[in-house]
Amino acid sequence: MPSTTLAAKASYKKLPGTLELTPTHLQWTQDGKKAPSIKVPHSDAASLFCSKEGAAQVRLKLGLVSDEAGHNFTFLAPQAVAVVERERFKTELTNIISVNRRGVNASGSVPPPVTPISAPSPGNVASPRPPLLSRPSTSRAASVASESRTPGTPTSDPAGDFQLRIRVLLSNPDLAALHRELVMSRQITEDEFWEGRQHILQAQRAQESQRRGKPGQLVDPRPQSVDGEIKIVITPQLKLDIFDEYPVVKKAFEENVDKNMTEPAFWHRYFQSKLFNSHRASIRSAATQHVVKDDPIFDKYLEKEDDELEPRRLREDRVDIFIDLGATLEDHVETGNERDITMQAGKQRAVLPLIRKFNEHSGRLLDSVLGDTPNKRRRIEGSVEERYAQLDLEDLHDNQSSSGITLANLDSQRYFEGRSNQTSDSTITISAKAAVQEAKASLQGWSTNLSQLKVDRKAGGAALEEMTQNVAARLEVKMRKEDIPEHLYRQMAATQTATNEFLRQFWLAIYPPPADFPTAGAPNAAQKAAKAAKMVGYLERTHEKVEGLRQGAHSLGVDPNKIYTAMKPVLDAAEKAMAFWRQRNAAKPPPPR
Amino acid sequence: MKFYIDDLPVIFPYDRIYPEQYTYMCDLKRTLDAGGHCVLEMPSGTGKTVSLLSLIVSYQQFYPTRRKLIYCSRTVPEIEKALAELKRLMEYRLSVAETEEQQAKERGFYGLGLTSRKNLCIHPEVSKEKKGKVVDARCRDLTNSAVCQKGRENPGSVDLCDWHENLGKLEPGNLIPPGIWTLADVLQYGRDNVICPYFLVRRMMPFVDVVIYSFHYLLDPKVAEQVSKEMSKDAIVVFDEAHNIDNVCIESLSIDLTRPMLDSAARSVTRLGDKIEEIKRTDASKLQDEYAKLVEGLQDAATDEDSFVANPVLPEDLLKEAIPGNIRKAEHFVAFLKRFVEYLKTRMRVLHVVAETPLSFLQHLKDITYIERRPLRFCAERLQSLVRTLELSRIDEFSALQKVASFATLVATYEKGFLLILEPFETDNATVPNPMFHFTCLDPSIAIKPVFERFSSVVITSGTISPLDMYPKMLQFTPVIQESYPMTLTRNSFLPLVITRGSDQVAISSRFEVRNDPAVVRNFGSILIEYSKIVPDGIVAFFPSYLYMESIVAAWNDMGILNEVWKYKLIFVETPDANETSIALENYRRACDNGRGAVLLSVARGKVSEGIDFDHNYGRAVIMFGVPYQYTESRILKARLEYLRDTYRIRESEFLGFDAMRNAAQCVGRVLRGKTDWGLMVFADKRFARADKRAKLPRWINQYITETASNLSTDMAITLSKLFMRTISQNPNENQTGISLWTLENVQQHQAKQKELELETEKQQREAVQDDDEYGDGGFDDNTLAAINLDV
Repeated sequence: MPSTTLAAKASYKKLPGTLELTPTHLQWTQDGKKAPSIKVPHSDAASLFCSKEGAAQVRLKLGLVSDEAGHNFTFLAPQAVAVVERERFKTELTNIISVNRRGVNASGSVPPPVTPISAPSPGNVASPRPPLLSRPSTSRAASVASESRTPGTPTSDPAGDFQLRIRVLLSNPDLAALHRELVMSRQITEDEFWEGRQHILQAQRAQESQRRGKPGQLVDPRPQSVDGEIKIVITPQLKLDIFDEYPVVKKAFEENVDKNMTEPAFWHRYFQSKLFNSHRASIRSAATQHVVKDDPIFDKYLEKEDDELEPRRLREDRVDIFIDLGATLEDHVETGNERDITMQAGKQRAVLPLIRKFNEHSGRLLDSVLGDTPNKRRRIEGSVEERYAQLDLEDLHDNQSSSGITLANLDSQRYFEGRSNQTSDSTITISAKAAVQEAKASLQGWSTNLSQLKVDRKAGGAALEEMTQNVAARLEVKMRKEDIPEHLYRQMAATQTATNEFLRQFWLAIYPPPADFPTAGAPNAAQKAAKAAKMVGYLERTHEKVEGLRQGAHSLGVDPNKIYTAMKPVLDAAEKAMAFWRQRNAAKPPPPR
Repeated sequence: MKFYIDDLPVIFPYDRIYPEQYTYMCDLKRTLDAGGHCVLEMPSGTGKTVSLLSLIVSYQQFYPTRRKLIYCSRTVPEIEKALAELKRLMEYRLSVAETEEQQAKERGFYGLGLTSRKNLCIHPEVSKEKKGKVVDARCRDLTNSAVCQKGRENPGSVDLCDWHENLGKLEPGNLIPPGIWTLADVLQYGRDNVICPYFLVRRMMPFVDVVIYSFHYLLDPKVAEQVSKEMSKDAIVVFDEAHNIDNVCIESLSIDLTRPMLDSAARSVTRLGDKIEEIKRTDASKLQDEYAKLVEGLQDAATDEDSFVANPVLPEDLLKEAIPGNIRKAEHFVAFLKRFVEYLKTRMRVLHVVAETPLSFLQHLKDITYIERRPLRFCAERLQSLVRTLELSRIDEFSALQKVASFATLVATYEKGFLLILEPFETDNATVPNPMFHFTCLDPSIAIKPVFERFSSVVITSGTISPLDMYPKMLQFTPVIQESYPMTLTRNSFLPLVITRGSDQVAISSRFEVRNDPAVVRNFGSILIEYSKIVPDGIVAFFPSYLYMESIVAAWNDMGILNEVWKYKLIFVETPDANETSIALENYRRACDNGRGAVLLSVARGKVSEGIDFDHNYGRAVIMFGVPYQYTESRILKARLEYLRDTYRIRESEFLGFDAMRNAAQCVGRVLRGKTDWGLMVFADKRFARADKRAKLPRWINQYITETASNLSTDMAITLSKLFMRTISQNPNENQTGISLWTLENVQQHQAKQKELELETEKQQREAVQDDDEYGDGGFDDNTLAAINLDV
């Protein structure tokens, strides 16, 4: 019943307020304010901690995926009520967290940043934009992107997109500066800005949608010292982990808690029981055996130690014969002397349960990600191709597969004709003999020629002179101070990047990039032309801007030519674009569409 | 591609070929032509099996003699891989065959693999049995000739195996259509047609062109007698992955006896006695018949398939002899066995270690029990005959007695190269006796001698069989060719590193005195942690022994080292149980495929180190923790070392070093398959830095260990590894063709060059010859004389 909204009075950072749990978020609103100042999406909840039963204050701490410290809430209601309230929050949140951990929550909607939300920045105009098609991940690793399971799911989520862009900008200051410059000043629209930058968004999205697998570590609660006492701190998370890892504890929990004992008592006894000892990932448990008390309840659940040479449980079906070690063992009657003592596996029986625990734990983790052992039939029979693939030496094949894409030539006849005509025209029959003779003649007497060769002294001197000057000039340049004032320099840089962006937009409108994914709402030709015209409008102002800069430089006492030289490439580029535009418009008036 | 080696057209199922594959095939062909034996070492992962098969099949198909190929490998996965490789080769040959006639020839080619009943049984009940021995016994109960006869005469009176019965109805030699059948294929064919795959393969053995099975089927006399007897002498025998062949030889002639075994044997003897009494009352003629047969001699006593334990060693002439009189009568034989078992039991009561030669054992036996050597020698054979006569079922219950009988036969047959060792305690500090009587073979050449004698061409090959001259010395044969091929690479696709100390400069070693030192354990652990941080996908770590692995896993867990590893990779560990380990392996591979990455901890010379490949993402790094020396306190090893020193002049340290390094090389060599694959090979022990140790590594590994990489601390090794991975992960743009990859043209160019060279030398020789031998008397010169074809 996660849809129920819970609410309780709770304080955050000593400020009173209301804690609410909505179907998507956990939020806290300070008393007297309207908008919640803390809003945590469910998918961000990572861990949960509670204050001890009977502590003076009833607290709840939520750790976040991105931030271990998380948020601390104190329930304000009288003790008894607060505990009940907290318990309700706890159960709900524990469920949410466990869902997060299992990763069932395929992050279709990308979680917004986990910062106490300030007023949404008004400058950013988020207009709905065509959905991006996510390309299926090509990686072999299934864990890389959850998208690979649902390839091509369009994320038509403008809000999500908007958030995504914000995050991209946040992580990329240069881009953010440009964005401020152009979009916030409304020179170009948000969509235009992002056009041609989809790959950045995609990369960000892929990175975010990468699900974190379950951490690999064994569930092995170890006593810590808290306030001078040695104890095991149990969190709701640990509880879940233990249930996951040891179903028998879950069973015991379900059968006993509330009937025979309270929950704290349950854990208390569990950690002192033989059962816990057998679950510990340590062989030292054998030594502590005598410390552990008998426990009539938990001892019921105790299983025999799995320390025989043969495991007690073993999957029935066989593995692929290519890795079937058992088949070799049974291939012939055992012969020979017993192996020496160091080579007898399982001599240290106390280690066997530990080793088995490792294997089982790793297997379980895999199963939780990949689902149960897939396709048993395939594994046993193994398709022929798969078998062969394991034997194949791929580099011994000719790489014919990558022979390129066949050219879709519509009129191949003409192509070849034109070519042959050309060659027939230009072929000059060269007689090999004549060529050789010619070459020979030209080489005659080379040694005398070489000995007669004299280098003009003057020319040598001149060359040296020139080089010296060159070096001197460079040195001079280097020696000269950086004389452009800081703010002018920044202005120059801004002009430069802005012009570049206009240029980019312009050429993008003229020559759209190869459509590697057909965007649903791709701008049509008219839109493009309009956009190009607009960009040309901006570009035409480049001259003015540079002129302005020069003026500014002059007034500051900097050589304006320097500015001009610095901005020349940009100006040239803008010039070129404008020339192109004029030429095009002159040649072909824009289609009246 | 198709090319010629001399006049032999070779069809190779790829478009290109590695230069080492080409040279390998050339040398192989020379060996086959010369009709001798050879030792060839070819780098792991450069397609040894496919080269071998493609040359030999070309050879078989081209020459009319059509010599059979007996291909032996170590493990079932390797057998299956070889079969699959062969199947693919034949598919390729068929696709390139030019004429109808050739196609028919390729289609008629038979290739089968043999393994045990346990692996091939499809009987619904029998196949469920867990132990191979029980499967064997139950299968025999359903399929032996006596039962079959009874069942056929009187249907329903006894249980028969339908699958076996159906097989009998087919025409012999045509039980399965021609082609290559992998073990999985044969199983499927058996299921589809309701015939027994095991007997199908057994009965097809004389008719197939290629048979693939494990070493034991040729080397273990008990098995070889049954399955390999009919192989013709001109067959080509290949031992692939033969680096441990000496151990297989020794194992096949060694036997252990324990007290529980003797107790069980004694019970079996009593049961035999009871059974004889019973038969005497009901059907005395049976025993009479048997007696009569035994007088005539052992031969033709039974068909092969019925025999449950063949005589391990008896030479041909002995088999024709009659069984000695004193054990001919069933009850006499039972009494004889009883006495022998009792004697062994008394020997076990001794509380100090005894080591003696077979001769002294026999002498003592004779002094105490008056048992002579000759009847003892026939013990196994006589027991088999008796069991058959009594029509016993469930003979797996008699396995201990069989072992005692085999022991008796072996001990009475060999005088030299064997030793009996009685160890009353398992370890030196144990107080409760657990006596074990080892009958141990010290000389590997004894078991393999019949193979060399019988077959004209024996090929011994492996990826790691250095130093090459060790094998001919140990196995007592003279090879025609003995060659190790370097690996031609355009870029170094693997990086061998020797880590001698941790980042804290403490030397690391698995030497017994320091191996449990916390500093060493921690440094080993930090190597694992660091590599699991930087290496993608799979890492395989090998330990020198199970004992060490188990203790270090526990120590690492307690030190929190594994917790660190868990953050980056999953952890899988080899366990004592083979099936359990297989499942761990399967999961390990899933983790590597999935991108999660995993670490597999296993043991050199253990189950995983044999026959499992860790190519591509299944093994981007192999870490060898310590030098995998054998346990030198083992009395059996000590005896063997002494024998090697006295007999073959191989020094103890030399042998131990050789043995450790071949196993280390074997472990690290499994990371590569093909030249685009890459991997790290980490040797973590300061002893690997010594030049004499490294010299024992195969040439193809050793040549890539640079001087700097031979003495590193952990942090330096990590830096080098990172650098290596950064470069290797880039696209191999440079063209390997011509250097480490040959096209058909390259092969032809090479051949032309070779021919030129040959002509040159020949010319020079001829000139030299002419200078010397020209007598000017107008007679025939030597060359002409040699060329004359004489019909002698």
